Amino acid sequence: MIPYNFEYYKPTTMKEATNLFQSLLQENKSPIYFAGGTEIITLGRMNKIVTDAVIDIHHIPACHILEQDDTWLTLGAALSLTSIKEMKKFPLLEKVVSEIADRTSRNKITLGGNICANIIYREAVLPFLLTESYAVIATQHGLKERPFQELFDQTLQLKEGEFLVQVKVATKDLALPFFTVKKRRQWGVGYPLLTIAAILKETHIHTAYSGLYAYPFHCEKVDAQLNKPNTERAKRIEHALQAFHKEILHDIHGSDTYRKFVLKNVLTDVIDTLEKG
Amino acid sequence: MDWMIGKSIPRKEAEEKVTGAAKYTDDRSDAQMLHVKLKVSTHAHAKLKKIDTSKAEKVTGVHAIIIGESLPLTGTDIKDRPILAYKKVRYFGEPIAAVVAEHPYIAEQAAALIEVTYDPLPIINTTEEAMKQEATLVHENLATYHKTDKVFPEANSNIANRVKVRKGDIQKAWLQSHMTIEENYVVPPSDHTAIETRSAIVEIKPDGTVMITSTTQAPYGVKSEFSETFELEEGKIIATTPLVGGAFGGKVTTQLELIAYIASKAVNGKCVKLTYTREEDMLTAPVRMGLDAKVKLGATKDGKLTAAEITYLIDTGAYADKGTLLTTAVAATCTGPYKIDHIRCDAICVYTNHPYITAYRGFSHSEILFMFERAMDTLAKKLEMDPLQFRKKNAIVKGNTSPTQTVLNESSVGNLPKCIDQLQEMMNWKEGVTIPIDERKIRVKGMCCSWKTSTISGASSGVVLLFNADGSVNILSGIVEIGMGTKTILAQLLAERLKMDINNIHVQMDVNTKTIPEHYKTVASRGTLLAGRALLKAADDAVEQLRDIASRVLTCSPEDLEVGYEKVYVRDDPTTYVYIKDVCYGYQYSNGNSIGGQVIGKGNYTIRHLSHLDPKTGKGKTGPEWTVGAQGVEIEFDQRDFTYKILKAYSVIDIGKVLNYKAALGQVMGSMSMGLSHASAEAYEFREDGTMNIPKLRTYGPLRYGDHPEYIAKFIETAHLDGPYGARGVGEHALIGMPAALGNALSTAAGVELNQLPLTPEMIWRKKVGDKFL
Repeated sequence: MIPYNFEYYKPTTMKEATNLFQSLLQENKSPIYFAGGTEIITLGRMNKIVTDAVIDIHHIPACHILEQDDTWLTLGAALSLTSIKEMKKFPLLEKVVSEIADRTSRNKITLGGNICANIIYREAVLPFLLTESYAVIATQHGLKERPFQELFDQTLQLKEGEFLVQVKVATKDLALPFFTVKKRRQWGVGYPLLTIAAILKETHIHTAYSGLYAYPFHCEKVDAQLNKPNTERAKRIEHALQAFHKEILHDIHGSDTYRKFVLKNVLTDVIDTLEKG
Repeated sequence: MDWMIGKSIPRKEAEEKVTGAAKYTDDRSDAQMLHVKLKVSTHAHAKLKKIDTSKAEKVTGVHAIIIGESLPLTGTDIKDRPILAYKKVRYFGEPIAAVVAEHPYIAEQAAALIEVTYDPLPIINTTEEAMKQEATLVHENLATYHKTDKVFPEANSNIANRVKVRKGDIQKAWLQSHMTIEENYVVPPSDHTAIETRSAIVEIKPDGTVMITSTTQAPYGVKSEFSETFELEEGKIIATTPLVGGAFGGKVTTQLELIAYIASKAVNGKCVKLTYTREEDMLTAPVRMGLDAKVKLGATKDGKLTAAEITYLIDTGAYADKGTLLTTAVAATCTGPYKIDHIRCDAICVYTNHPYITAYRGFSHSEILFMFERAMDTLAKKLEMDPLQFRKKNAIVKGNTSPTQTVLNESSVGNLPKCIDQLQEMMNWKEGVTIPIDERKIRVKGMCCSWKTSTISGASSGVVLLFNADGSVNILSGIVEIGMGTKTILAQLLAERLKMDINNIHVQMDVNTKTIPEHYKTVASRGTLLAGRALLKAADDAVEQLRDIASRVLTCSPEDLEVGYEKVYVRDDPTTYVYIKDVCYGYQYSNGNSIGGQVIGKGNYTIRHLSHLDPKTGKGKTGPEWTVGAQGVEIEFDQRDFTYKILKAYSVIDIGKVLNYKAALGQVMGSMSMGLSHASAEAYEFREDGTMNIPKLRTYGPLRYGDHPEYIAKFIETAHLDGPYGARGVGEHALIGMPAALGNALSTAAGVELNQLPLTPEMIWRKKVGDKFL
C-alpha cells in the first residue's frame, strides 16, 4: 500500500510528457517520471519515494524502440529488462541485466528505470560505461544526445524535467570479448556484493563496477594498473586493488574486506578470461 | 491391501488454492471495517518518556489512538508482555501505539505523526551479556509477574527459565573418556517468512460476543487467552480461522489479535482489521529463537560415546512467550539420537533486547542438532573414525533411555540404524566424502542423524463426523489447514476405516471454536496423531450407530455386521446388506414407522503418560514417540572463493507408516529446503544498539526458485503403535538435520570447524583467512 495520494498521467508523446512535467511543477507539485513502476511502488510504500504526480512514459513509442543498423543499436528506455535479456544483440548487456532482481521483476523493470534508479547498484549502466554509447534525452526543447560516459557521474546527470528516451550503442562494440559476473552474499538472486563488467578492446581491458561504492563506476586508474605492460598478473591485480581510492561498502551483504577478497578473485578471472581469449 | 493408506490423494483444498479462489484472513474486507496500524519502537531498549498523539488525532478519518497504559500483561508461561509497550520498550519494532482509522493509509499516515520521546537504556544484545552478574535487566520486576508452576524465572536476573538434565554420573564418565572435545556454537535469531503475513479481524457484538478471525495456528488458544487476559466468558468468544498461508510455528503466539481487540473496543466494538506488512511481520511479530551453546563430548578410544555436558542459552528476546517451553524442549532433546548414559545439561532461557521468540518448525531441534551433530563430526575426526560409522555405533535403539531417562522401545524410537544404512547406500558413502573435481573445486558429503519428539503434555483433540443423507460424511476437526494437508489425511483415515470413496468424505476447512470440537493447537507435527486418533474413535462411534440401526433392518445382531463400501453388510454373507445412505439418517419401515436419526460420530484423544520434567534431574516424558532420521548433503565447494553449491540433499526418515506418499514427500522436501535456507543464509543481524536494518525479503534471502538442490527422500516404516495405522509425526523432521549436515560438509570441505550459522561464504572466509587478508 502506498500511503499517499498521487496523480497519474499517461502522455503518448515526448513533448506532452515534458510539458506536463513543467505544468505540474508550476502547480507546485513534485512530479516524477514512471516507467515500470517497481521502484516507485516498493520505495513508495515505505515513504522513501514521495510524489504527488507520476508521468508514465510507457506509452511513448520512442521509448520502446529496439533497432539496429550498421552503426548503432538503439534501445528504448521503457524496454523491460526481460526484453533486453532476450534480444540477442548485445551479449554483455543481456548477461548483466539477466542478473538484476528476478524474472517477475525484470518483466516490469525497464532499462531506463534501472539506469535512473534510486537503488545504488543500477547495474544496467555498466555496459554503457565500457562501450561507445549515447544517452538520448527528452528535454523541453526537443531531443538531445550526449555521450553516456560524459553524462554519467555516479548518476545520469539529467536536468529537472528531462528523461532518458533511448540509449544508443555503437554496433562495432556489441560483440567485443567480455567478462561479467555478479557475486552475492549467497545464492542466485539478490543484490550484489559486487558486479563487474569487463570488455577487451584490442588488447586493452576496460572494467566497470557496481556494489563497491554507492554507485556504479568505471575508473581509468584501475584499468591502467590492470593493463600495465610487462607486469605479472598478481602485481597488476595488487596495484589495481590499491587504485580503488574510496572506501568500499560495508553492509549487510558483506564487509569491506570480504568485498576486497572477492574483488581480487574476480579481477583474476577477468584477466584470465580476457587475456587467454 | 490398504484401501487408502499410502495413496497420494490430492489435497481436499487443492482446487480452491490453485484457482486462487481460496480465502485467507486478509481477503475478508468490507466498507464498514476500520483499519489498524501500529507505531513501533525505533529503539531496542529505552524508557518511554512521552508519546504525543496530538498531531495524529487531528488526521481526518482517525477514530481512535490507543497507547499501552492500563492494559493487562500477556504471555504463555510468564505474563511479562504488555499488549502495547508501557513505560519502556524492550525490542526494536515493539508496538507502542495503535491507530484505528477508516482506511489503512489514513491509519499509517496518522501513526507516522505520533511522536515518541525515548530515554535510551543499555542494550542486552547477546545471551552472554545477559548472563553477566551486573547485566542490565530487561525485566526489573521479573519476580512479580504471574506465571505457571512449570517455569522458574530467577529474580533480579535475565533468566526466564532454567531446565536441568542430570543423567548418570558425569564425573565418573569423564574418567572413562579417552577422548574429549569442547566447542562453542552460535545460531542467531531468524524469521519464519510464511508467505501470508499475520492478520487479525476483531469485532465485539452488542451482546458482548467477541468475534476474532485470524491467521493463527491456535484458534482455541486465542479463545482461552482472550478469556484469561480480558476476563471474558469463554462462551462469548468465537475465534475463527480460515486457510492459513504457511505458519511454521510463527502463528502460535497470540499477538496482533490482542491489539485488534483493544482497537475494536476503543471504537465501540466496530469491526477492525490489523494486517502486518512484510516488514512488520519480520520485525514486530515474534521470531525464531537464537541459541548459543557450549558442548563437551567424550568417547572411549574405540568410539563409544561416554558423556555429554552442555550449556544451552536460549535467546528468548524481550519476552518469555514460547521461550520457556522451548527451553524444556531443548533440555528434553539435549543430545543427538545416541545412547549416552551420562548427561549433564543446563538449558537456560535468557532475556535480551531482541524480538521475542515463538515456535519455529522443529521447535529448537534443528538448532540443537546443528550444535550436537557438528560436535559429533569434530569428535569423529579426533577419533579418526568415519562420522557415519561413529554415529551408527552409538545410534539409539530400543532398550536405551532418552536424555530424560525414558526407556525407549521400538514403537517409541523407531529404527535409526536402518536409516543410517539406507543413507549410506543412497549417498554412496563408500566412494569417500571428498571427491576432487578440478584444481579449485571439490565435491564433499556431510551427514548427521536427527530425532524429535513433541513437548505438549495436556494436548487433546476432538472430531465429529456428520453423515449426510446421501451417505457421505462431513469431518469436523479443529485442525487449522496451514498448508501441510492434515485435513486430507483425516479424510484418508476415515476412507480407510469405512472402506469408502474419499470423494464422499468432506472436510470442513475453516475452524470455528464455537461449532467445531477443540484441537489443542496445530503444532508439533501432532495433527495426525491427535486428530487422527480422535477421528478413528469417532468412526468407531459412527460404525456402532450404523450397525445398530442396520441390525434392525437386517434382523440380526449388530455384532454380525460390518461397515464398508457404502454399505452395512453381514460379515459372512455380504449379499445381505443395507446401504449406509438408507440408515445414516435413521430408517423408515414400509409401514411408515421410523427409527434412529442422523448418525453423528464423536471421538477425542489425548496423549497418554506424558509428564513434566523433574526440576532436579529432568527426568520425565515430554512426548509420545520419536521420529528418527539420517540426513545428508552433497556440495560442490570452491576452495578459492569459499562459495558452494548444494547439489543434493538426502533424508531417510522413519515415518512409521506412510499415509499419503506425495504429501509426506512434500513435507520432507519442503522442510529440507527450509532447513538449508536457514543454514545457508537466514539470520537477523543486529547493530550494536540492538536495532537492525528493516528486514525485508529482498535482503533476507530465503532460497529462491533455481537455488534448490535435488531433494532425495526415503521412508523407513517402523510402526508407532499408538499412531493411526502406525504413523509418526513428519511435519518437521526433515528440516532439523539439514543445518548440521551442511555444516559438516562445509567443515570438511573448508578444513576448519564451522560452528556458526548462517554458513555464508564470508563466514567461511572469515574462519579460513579473515584478518590475514590484506
